[in-house]
Amino acid sequence: MELFTPEFGLVFWMFVAFLCLYFILAKFAWPFIIKSMEERADLIDKGVAYAQDAKRQLDNAKSEADKLIAEARNQQADILREASKIKNQIVEDARSEAAAEAKKVSEAAMVSIEQARKESEKQLRQEVGEIALQIAEKVIRREVANDKAQQQLVEQYLSEVKTNN
Amino acid sequence: MKGKIISAIIALALVALAALGYWSAAQHRHGEAPAELDPKEIIYEHLGDEYGWALPFNHSLRIPLPIIVWADDGFHCFMSSRLTDGATYEGLRISNSEDHNGKVVQVMPDGSEKRPWDFSVTKNVAAIFVAALLVVWMVMSLRRWYARQGMKAPRRAMGLLELVVDYVYTDTIRPIMGKEAPKYAPYLLTAFFFILTMNLLGLIVIFPGGANLTGNLAVTMVMAIITFVITNFTGTREYWKEIFWPEVPVALKCPVPMMQLIEVLGLFTKPLALMIRLFANMMGGHMVVLVLMLLIFIFSAMFNYVVGGATAVFSLFFTVFMLALDTLVSFIQAYVFTILSTIFISMSHVEPHHHEA
Repeated sequence: MELFTPEFGLVFWMFVAFLCLYFILAKFAWPFIIKSMEERADLIDKGVAYAQDAKRQLDNAKSEADKLIAEARNQQADILREASKIKNQIVEDARSEAAAEAKKVSEAAMVSIEQARKESEKQLRQEVGEIALQIAEKVIRREVANDKAQQQLVEQYLSEVKTNN
Repeated sequence: MKGKIISAIIALALVALAALGYWSAAQHRHGEAPAELDPKEIIYEHLGDEYGWALPFNHSLRIPLPIIVWADDGFHCFMSSRLTDGATYEGLRISNSEDHNGKVVQVMPDGSEKRPWDFSVTKNVAAIFVAALLVVWMVMSLRRWYARQGMKAPRRAMGLLELVVDYVYTDTIRPIMGKEAPKYAPYLLTAFFFILTMNLLGLIVIFPGGANLTGNLAVTMVMAIITFVITNFTGTREYWKEIFWPEVPVALKCPVPMMQLIEVLGLFTKPLALMIRLFANMMGGHMVVLVLMLLIFIFSAMFNYVVGGATAVFSLFFTVFMLALDTLVSFIQAYVFTILSTIFISMSHVEPHHHEA
């Protein structure tokens, strides 16, 4: 029966057709198609990996940024606290320094006043001595002349002294 | 809406064609000699090969195909239209005898018939060429897509084609063969697409298809022989060692080579199974469809046209079902052939360390 006995011509042509088909496709098509498909699969895999990596980096960056901001806030608070402390210190220092300076100035003034006082006392003593000497001189001179006149003279010189001083 | 109208038109056309076919068959049978309905002959005629390719809905007009024979008196090459209706040309004719029914024979001087070497491009051979050209066209267009579009994903038909290639190569051949896959993939992929195309072409009943290719032993035999040759010619030493000196108790292999006998038988049963599986599956599908169709005429002849008409509804329903099933079977059988070839080839590439594990 024909169906179960392979026909020679059909076998021959089938061989020819299949071998031609095989050589054409094996030479020009399949390796290229397989290579292209694998390249694209690789590309897609790489793309996915890249995207995942990028996402992870983005997430990291966000948390890192948050951390940085928190740190900066802390630092800011620290700095502010420090600054206010320094400010208080400076004010305190200035105050005490000013007080010391004022004390020094007033002491110096005191010394100079004392000195001036001593000077003027000395001068006064000298002048009073001189005046007394002059009066005594004049009195002695008048004594010699007139008692009454001497009295008058003393009076006069005393008033002179008064006006002089 | 548009789709519905198109479907309705197609359905109407199909009903009209069916009616036309039925009417023409009835006319034929009411003609000069109401021939006895011979289902067996009709089935074998449809499953078999012929010189020339029948046009659809026509019993007499055929596309002539070249007849090429190597007879005792040398080569003959002419178109098959010269041998219609039993005509003899250059001492050759199409035989009616029991031995060479439907084949070109050489008429010997004493009136006996002798079968010459027949290289004719018959309907099946032409269908093989059509299938091969279709495969080249399909695969080359996929290649062209990659060459032109580079990394862009294929769309539409190319996407479907790539899906199939990817399924056969990435999901089947590569996991089985590993790093050897690129070496054998061209053969396996070519075999898959060629068998698939032949299977599907066989399901199309009219002209470019309709040839029962993979339901023909010659075709499946060639495919199985190629797998057999690749399997055994690329086999490793270990593969042959396992056949002629397998690791079994010595009593099983030494005085009487029992295991060797089984292994050598196994060499041949594997491709034989490949050949028969594909052949039987495809031929069975075609045969069931033919029988379902013939039921209409058998019941018409046995009872009357009313019963025949009722059978037509039943037969059409089951024929459509069978054809849908055959489409599935076409894919499955092409795939099974490919995966089994892959397994056979990779099994012949065993390495010793693999065996010790």
